[in-house]
Amino acid sequence: MKKALSVIMVVVVMFLASFTVVRSASAEEVKITGVITKIEMAADKKSAIAVLKDNKSGESVTITITDDLTLDKFKDHRIVDGDEIRTKFEKEGDKNISKMFKKTAGC
Amino acid sequence: MSGKIITIMLGCALLTTTVQAKEHPGKEQILKDGYQGPKTCEVCHPGKAKEFLGTVHWKHASKADHVDNLNHKEEHGMKNRIYTMCNGNDIVNNLKEIPPNAAGKTKFSGCNTCHPGDHTIDVGSTGPEAEQSIDCLICHSTKYDFRKRKIVKDDKGNVVMTQDRSTEAAANIGRPSIKNCMVCHEAAGGGALVKRGFSMTKEADVHVSKGIICVDCHQAKNHKIPTGRDPNNWASDGIYMTCVGECHSEKPHKDAGINKHTAKIACQTCHIPRTGGAFSKDFTKWEKMSNGFYEPSTLKREVNETAPVYAWYNLTVSNTPHFIGPKGSRTDGKSKIYPFKLFQGKAYYNKKDGQLLSMDFAPPMATGDTLAGVASAAKILGIKDYEPVPGWQTIYFGSNHQVAPKGKALGCANCHSVNGVLNLKELGYSAKEVEKLTTPEIYFEKLLKLQQENE
Ligand code: HEC
Ligand code: HEC
Ligand code: HEC
Ligand code: HEC
Ligand code: HEC
Ligand code: HEC
Ligand code: HEC
Repeated sequence: MKKALSVIMVVVVMFLASFTVVRSASAEEVKITGVITKIEMAADKKSAIAVLKDNKSGESVTITITDDLTLDKFKDHRIVDGDEIRTKFEKEGDKNISKMFKKTAGC
Repeated sequence: MSGKIITIMLGCALLTTTVQAKEHPGKEQILKDGYQGPKTCEVCHPGKAKEFLGTVHWKHASKADHVDNLNHKEEHGMKNRIYTMCNGNDIVNNLKEIPPNAAGKTKFSGCNTCHPGDHTIDVGSTGPEAEQSIDCLICHSTKYDFRKRKIVKDDKGNVVMTQDRSTEAAANIGRPSIKNCMVCHEAAGGGALVKRGFSMTKEADVHVSKGIICVDCHQAKNHKIPTGRDPNNWASDGIYMTCVGECHSEKPHKDAGINKHTAKIACQTCHIPRTGGAFSKDFTKWEKMSNGFYEPSTLKREVNETAPVYAWYNLTVSNTPHFIGPKGSRTDGKSKIYPFKLFQGKAYYNKKDGQLLSMDFAPPMATGDTLAGVASAAKILGIKDYEPVPGWQTIYFGSNHQVAPKGKALGCANCHSVNGVLNLKELGYSAKEVEKLTTPEIYFEKLLKLQQENE
């Protein structure tokens, strides 16, 4: 227990050093805004794909979503076809993995 | 001590799971008779609908005696306040269809979409019809289908917010989950996590990772939901809460050195080291979005990317046209140091009386013409004598969620080193005191001992 506590305290001190924000330096990160034209849940419900029509290019982009919060919003239809989405994704192999998937909204 | 706390926390968590697993005793009846709105619930829960009409969630307002420069006889809240996080309110931004944009497209927009009524029965309305229009299921159903909550025009041209009143949704009743509350709270301020950068996920808050949900901490009684003293959350149901209560005492640490701090330093200061979301908006110039509509220009960061500012707070609020934030000082005997998210917003002020003007978002959303928005709001409010001039407002938002794992709480050196997170001079400490508070003398022995134990 004592040992565990000391680890914690050292981590506390270390935290000062690590206080600056580490931005993901990945060059592969892409941001787009577009309207959903299709949502498809995987059979195991642990992922889904959404097709967005990119507002800028007009092209369709297929994005893979794996985070529970967004998947849940697909399940209860808080996010549906026709909604406009702001998304950030990373290219991993032939997939675009979503890092952020939010409905746009005015104030 | 910590063992006891852990037990209590596990207690909370267990409570949550067992309650959620329990089936609602009204299920059979509802499946048999179907759901006709609140009156179905009131067969077994009489008085609940009427009771709800008296709450902030229905009225979007309450008295706010702790805030300066208000008429304390009147009620204030999202219904009628103006600030530069959202430069309007339910009145000037009543849900409506906005004029077509350059591409001829239109949409519905309004603040009172985050209200459990149907809009024809609006914020603060009363009477039997209002009672029956309440959307009980938005907070209580685990099977709410959001496709059924839509904004439409009825045949009389009224803008109506529909509800999911299906038997399926009504048959699946329980205590509100995080998701139920987040229907409205997640997107407050103009989009997901904008206002508070307030994410209640396992990754973002230690409590959630232990299964604790909103209503475990915000323990509602008769639909009165307790709140805290965020300087920008004026409306309350008259019940207040802090971190200290059923789950935590004023002195929760084994280390007496930490416990000594709780008289002057709020729990949040050490335990919520980061904040996030929008930190600045300009309502005088809107950005054109790729869909052809305009939005208030907004600078924002992710949930955990912003360092808070720290200030003394005695739980009363300074409210002037250019500043809304904590009052307090080191010497008033009531204040503690709290963390805040600093936000600065630009909007139009009335040159004639110096007051902040509000904006109807419908015109600028369509065309970007912000002065047309000010004119429309002035017309709605009957303000004739005004001259709009741009100005900035500084707002302090409370930072009361996203409790970090204990290993990431601020430690001695975060504050007592020379470049610590607190601006001790600004917080009212004399040069001599600052010198004393920032010598390693304060923490050296302690940290060295811990370091040795760890090697
Ligand atoms: C046939 C009777 C009946 C009907 C109809 C009914 N309930 Fe209940 N409900 C109960 C009983 C019995 C309990 C358990 C005792 C209590 O907590 O009052 C309960 C408990 C609850 C609870 C507490 C749940 C918990 O886990 O703590 C909520 C919330 C609730 N009901 C909401 C509703 C809502 C909303 C409706 C309408 C959709 C409704 N009830 C309709 C009988 C009913
Ligand atoms: C239908 C939208 C909606 C839902 C659902 C909702 N809220 Fe709110 N809530 C609001 C709005 C809007 C306000 C601010 C009103 C104001 O200040 O004028 C608010 C204010 C509050 C406040 C501060 C005022 C008070 O009542 O003490 C608390 C705390 C709160 N909500 C907690 C919750 C919790 C917990 C849940 C889930 C049980 C929840 N809310 C669900 C819209 C909602
Ligand atoms: C997505 C739901 C939602 C929408 C839409 C929304 N709000 Fe709110 N608003 C909330 C919630 C939830 C709160 C209370 C909690 C908080 O401040 O984080 C709140 C609080 C407020 C407050 C502070 C109220 C108080 O008691 O001091 C003001 C002012 C406000 N909103 C203005 C607006 C304006 C103006 C608009 C429209 C332009 C708007 N809101 C649209 C959810 C919403
Ligand atoms: C803004 C969200 C919200 C709405 C809308 C709402 N409730 Fe609740 N309700 C709550 C919360 C929070 C609790 C407390 C849950 C807890 O801690 O167990 C609660 C508790 C209850 C309970 C059990 C405890 C008690 O007070 O008897 C009943 C029954 C209930 N609600 C019925 C209703 C009915 C009926 C409606 C519609 C007229 C309704 N609720 C609308 C948030 C809401
Ligand atoms: C671990 C306990 C805890 C949980 C879980 C929690 N809250 Fe809070 N919340 C608090 C405390 C404590 C305060 C007030 C602190 C103060 O002012 O001193 C607060 C304040 C608030 C306020 C007032 C504005 C602000 O941010 O200070 C709102 C609104 C609110 N909570 C809504 C929610 C909602 C919605 C959820 C779930 C998504 C939630 N809370 C989950 C403890 C909690
Ligand atoms: C001066 C900074 C500081 C303040 C103020 C502070 N804490 Fe802490 N707290 C810490 C640190 C550092 C830790 C981790 C080391 C430890 O557990 O002693 C911690 C640990 C904890 C733990 C975990 C204890 C355990 O053994 O698992 C709880 C619970 C806690 N604090 C609650 C609170 C509450 C409630 C308050 C307000 C009454 C508060 N803290 C005020 C710094 C602080
Ligand atoms: C959130 C910042 C913060 C953290 C973390 C913190 N302190 Fe402090 N500490 C302060 C402030 C501010 C004061 C002055 C309080 C007052 O005005 O009484 C203080 C006062 C003290 C004092 C009294 C100094 C005097 O001579 O009056 C001691 C000793 C001390 N802290 C030790 C520690 C140790 C040891 C730790 C780590 C376990 C720690 N502090 C963590 C901010 C902090």
